[in-house]
Formats: sequence, structure tokens, C-alpha cells
Amino acid sequence: MNVFDHRHELMPRGELEQLQLERLQALLARLKRHVRRYREKLAGLNVESVADLARLPFTTPEEMAESFPYGFFACPMREIIRLHTTLGPQGKPLVIGHTRNDLSQWGRLAARQLAASGVTANDVIQVCFGGGAYGSAGYLFGAQVLEASVIAEEPAHADYQIAMLRNYRPTVLITTPTMALELAEVIEQRRLDPQSLQLRTVLLSRPVDRETRDRLAAGLSAPVQCNFGLGEILDPGLCVACPAGTFHLHEDQFLAEVQNGELVLTTLCREALPLLRYQTRVACELVQGKCACGRSGVQIVPGPRLDGRLRVKETPFYETQIAEVLAHTRAAGQPFTLKVSERHIVVSLELSEALFADTVWFVENLKRQIESDFLARLNLVAEVRFVNPRSQAVPDETGGPTLSPPETGRPLIQS
Amino acid sequence: MLLQVKNLRSAYGALEVVRGVSLHVSRGEIVGLLGANGAGKTSLLRSLVGLLPPRHGEILMDGRSTLGQPPWRSISNATVLVPEGKMIFADLTVRENLLIGGYHNPDRLLQLDIVLDRFPRLRERARQLGGTLSGGEQQLLALGRALMGRPRLLLLDEPSLGLAPLMVLEVFAEIRKLRELGVTVLLVEQNVTATLQIADRAYVMETGEIILEGDAAELLHNPEVKRAYLGSTGREALL
Repeated sequence: MNVFDHRHELMPRGELEQLQLERLQALLARLKRHVRRYREKLAGLNVESVADLARLPFTTPEEMAESFPYGFFACPMREIIRLHTTLGPQGKPLVIGHTRNDLSQWGRLAARQLAASGVTANDVIQVCFGGGAYGSAGYLFGAQVLEASVIAEEPAHADYQIAMLRNYRPTVLITTPTMALELAEVIEQRRLDPQSLQLRTVLLSRPVDRETRDRLAAGLSAPVQCNFGLGEILDPGLCVACPAGTFHLHEDQFLAEVQNGELVLTTLCREALPLLRYQTRVACELVQGKCACGRSGVQIVPGPRLDGRLRVKETPFYETQIAEVLAHTRAAGQPFTLKVSERHIVVSLELSEALFADTVWFVENLKRQIESDFLARLNLVAEVRFVNPRSQAVPDETGGPTLSPPETGRPLIQS
Repeated sequence: MLLQVKNLRSAYGALEVVRGVSLHVSRGEIVGLLGANGAGKTSLLRSLVGLLPPRHGEILMDGRSTLGQPPWRSISNATVLVPEGKMIFADLTVRENLLIGGYHNPDRLLQLDIVLDRFPRLRERARQLGGTLSGGEQQLLALGRALMGRPRLLLLDEPSLGLAPLMVLEVFAEIRKLRELGVTVLLVEQNVTATLQIADRAYVMETGEIILEGDAAELLHNPEVKRAYLGSTGREALL
């Protein structure tokens, strides 16, 4: 077992519980002092043990979205040195602030993950997320803490990345599942030998099913590990994914509960944006016990999203956002059905009499305009089909009108 | 954990000055307890040794409760408090001052030699009256006197108070060296920078509550610490 922070990761249970209580009490004191919303909610409430957490109020993503952008910040802007954004409820943006300490803490937490994956100062890391969403930031901080070499280039196209893999000979690849699949595909198409790459570990930014993992492990000729994180809390840095594939929560930093099947998290140490009992909208199970890797303590078994968040490639979105995009076009208010596939979405629009009466040229133009709107507003590749309002069923080669995307119907983890 | 405190509440009459404090000190650690005037730091220390009996909470020394014990019993738990303002006996010699600290220790003469070896300055002045020492030397004497009881846990209340900056460095260097003797230290201070330089971890206290816990290196850069002392702005008082 590779451990970066022995004191905190392997803390004896009694001491850990004491530390959690101390940090929880200090958190409450800070929240009452610095965050108006919490001051009102927490008036007169105290905790005398970690179990008392159950008596405290929740924080919902909707509240965070309401107080957009900075309503939940616990320190003045002057002390915040980084703003990250993440997708909130129904596509509303959320702003996640970090102080200097938050960032260095983030680096140490990400370093725990990298160390557990076997990364050392001798490794060269290729971090490729693409998309420009700064998803790689945590990994960069972690690599810096471990003093591993990071190639500071994030090309979006696979060919260039493969060239990097061959030229710089990185030993560790950190990337998204989509990107990894694309790489494996291109490597196969170009008839390259994946064993000629020097990869020792591939770390994926989010969990994928076992089948995909095996496919990637074969396609890139390296063991594949998945990480789990949440944009509002930390991603990466929430837990350590051990080689056995278990997610071990950083219990010195976060308290986890499960309420009605939903993961609820409390940040114990965060300075800029501390959150108390934050409802993550992710289905989850918590398991206590010893893992094959030697770690004990709380394990997270994440399930599907509970708020209807969909995803195409690495772009998350909500169905309400689709309606919003349509509302800006000539097809506003038309009933539609949505189908999500691996690479794009298919929007089947019912054409009203008024629109139907127009020329083919007009319909073609409308289709092109809506499709480019989806790309511009949501970064989604969309295919728009027009259907006859009288035929309720959507023409579809793979079967019936369906809304539920393949990925949200089943647990993310199958191992 | 050598010392474990949970939900401690203490009050002077109706005035609650320690309001649900939890903290711990592990063996061999130097832990700082920082806070402005009136934050409740000294009251907390006084509660730990029983001088200010707590109203509520738990104090565990080595896993055993010391709640309700009279102050003099804390010595037999090897917990020694060095009070604020040194409180040395001005009319006794340095040597006599030290021997008082080892009053309950049958090997006090042996211990005296160890302490005098540790603080050569005190050996030079062993026959001098305590009151004639300089402020820094008096603080060293207070430290030496505490060591005479062979403590495992040393509670230091503002050792830097009233000392010249150079002397602060010297006293703090001595505190850091206590680790070699296997002494664990809970250091209550207003001098943030000096404390965080020698401590492993620290707590920040404000109006009777702990508002921050963290590694010393982290707290050194934490603006919350400054705020706890100075309100919203100002840097000069941080030395």
C-alpha cells in the first residue's frame, strides 16, 4: 500500500474521531461567524459528538445556486485566489472558491490519490482532459506536491496526444474516460503497438464500468484506475481510489452520510467554501470495513445521479437546458423528445402546422441553426429530427421513444 | 493521545469563558493554542489542571478522566502548568526555586542536575535571588522549575509575555528542545509567528470557542488567524 500522508490516512480510530469532532466544532464556529445563511440556520445549535451532525440542517445545491455567485463564501474575496466553476442544479453554474490554503490542501489530497496509484517523483505524467474546463487542476497540484514531472500540454485531438505518448514517454496518463477510449481507438486504427508506450498506470477522472475498464487496459496496455469526485466538493481529492478499485473517503477532511440513498458530505477543513451536510444528488452506499489494499474506514460506493443529470462525452447537462436552447429558436414551445447516445444527443421535434407549411429550405435551415445552437450554448453535438405531430412514436432505429440515457439507469460501478 | 478534551465548558459565575472546547495533544507533540486577549486561553489551561473546575465536558489524560481532581493531583498525572507571568519566588535563590518545583519528587537533587545541565545560565546563577534575574532568565527558571516535576505534559501560559524579541527566540528554542526530553507541550500564546514556527499543530480560539485547527505550517498563512487577533485588517502586531 502506497501512502502519502501516514498521519492522516492511517490515523487510529479514536484519534480520528477526536479530530473530526474538533474540526466539526471549529467549522460550526466559523460558519456562524462568517456565513449569513448558516448563522440563521445554526442559531442555538451545537454539537458534542460527530453523531450530533444528524441534528444539523442540510445544504442543498439549489440554495447554492440561489446565492450565486459568492453567497456561501466564508471569507472575503481578497483571500480567495482561485475560482472554479461547476454545473449546479438544472444547469445553473456554481462557483467554488479556494484560498491559498485550500489549494495547497487540495494538492496534498490529490497527492494522496496519485501516491496510492503508485506515482512517484520519478514519473512523467501526461494529463489530458481537453475541453478547457480545468478538470485537470487538482491532478496538477497533486503531481507538483509529489514532484512528478507533468507535461503541460492538453491537446484536444487524439493524434497529438499519441505523439506525446510516444515522444515524451510518460509513465502515467490521467484523462477522462471519453478521451481514453478515443486514444485506444486511434491506437488500434493506426495499428500502433500499445505495449511500445511506457504507460504504467492510467487514471480516469470518473468511474466507468468494468467492461470499459478492461477494454482500456487492453487498448492502452496499462492497468486502469478510476477516481471519484464531485465538482462542488473536490474532484479529485474527495477520496482515494485504491488499486483494488475501492473509494476510501478522506475522513480527516470530510464527513459522509447517506440520507434516503443520497450522499451527504460535510467539509471539515475548507476555508473559502465550507459546506455543512451538502446534499450531493448522487446515489451512494457507505461501507465500513477493511479493504484488500490494507486501508480501513469509510468506503464510498457511488451510484447514479439523482437529479436527472445527463452526460454526453464529458459534457454534463440537464433536460431543462435542452428546452432552454430550443426556446431561443423558431421551434420554441414545440414538444420534443430527447435521446442521449454515447457521442451526441438526438432531439426529435414535433413540427407544428405553421412551421410545417414552410419550404424544405426553411426546415433545413432551422435544423442547422438549432444544431449549431446546441454546440454553442451547451457544447453538445446534436442531431435534430423533425417528426410528424400525429405519429407519437419517434422514428428510431434502436427502439422506441426513450428519454432515459443508458448511463444513468444503472450504477456507475460494477465490480 | 496524551491529553484529550471534549466539549469543555467553564465559567466565572454567570460568564461562560470556555464554550464547548474540544482539543487533543498527542505524545511528543508541541501544540499551540492561539488567540487574542480574553479569548479564554488561560481559563482553558486553568480548567485543565483543576484551578477553574469545568462545568461540563471531559478531560482525559492517557485515557483516564481527571475531571473533579484537585489541582495538586495534576502533578501526579505528570501535568505541570507554567503560569502566565512566570510567578517565580523572588526572595528565594534560583536553586531553591527549582527545588520547590521538585518538591514531590524524591529524586529531586538528581533532577536538579539534569535541569541545570539543560540551562547552563541557571547554573551560573544558582545562588542568585530569583528576583534579580532578567525577564528572560526568569522565564527559563520557570521552565526549569516545571521540569523539576518530570512532567510528561507541560502547559505553558504565554512564555513570551514581556520578553524582548531576542529573548523570545531563546525561550522558544528551549521549548522546542523539550521534545528531546520526551515532554509534550501545550503552548498558549499570543505571539503567533514564534509559536507556529516551533509547534506541530495549533488551535485558534476566539471568544471561548475554537475556530480553527490545523498544521502549524498551514495556519501560518491563514488569514483567519490574523482576523482572530485584529479584526479585519492590520499586520503590525503579528511580530
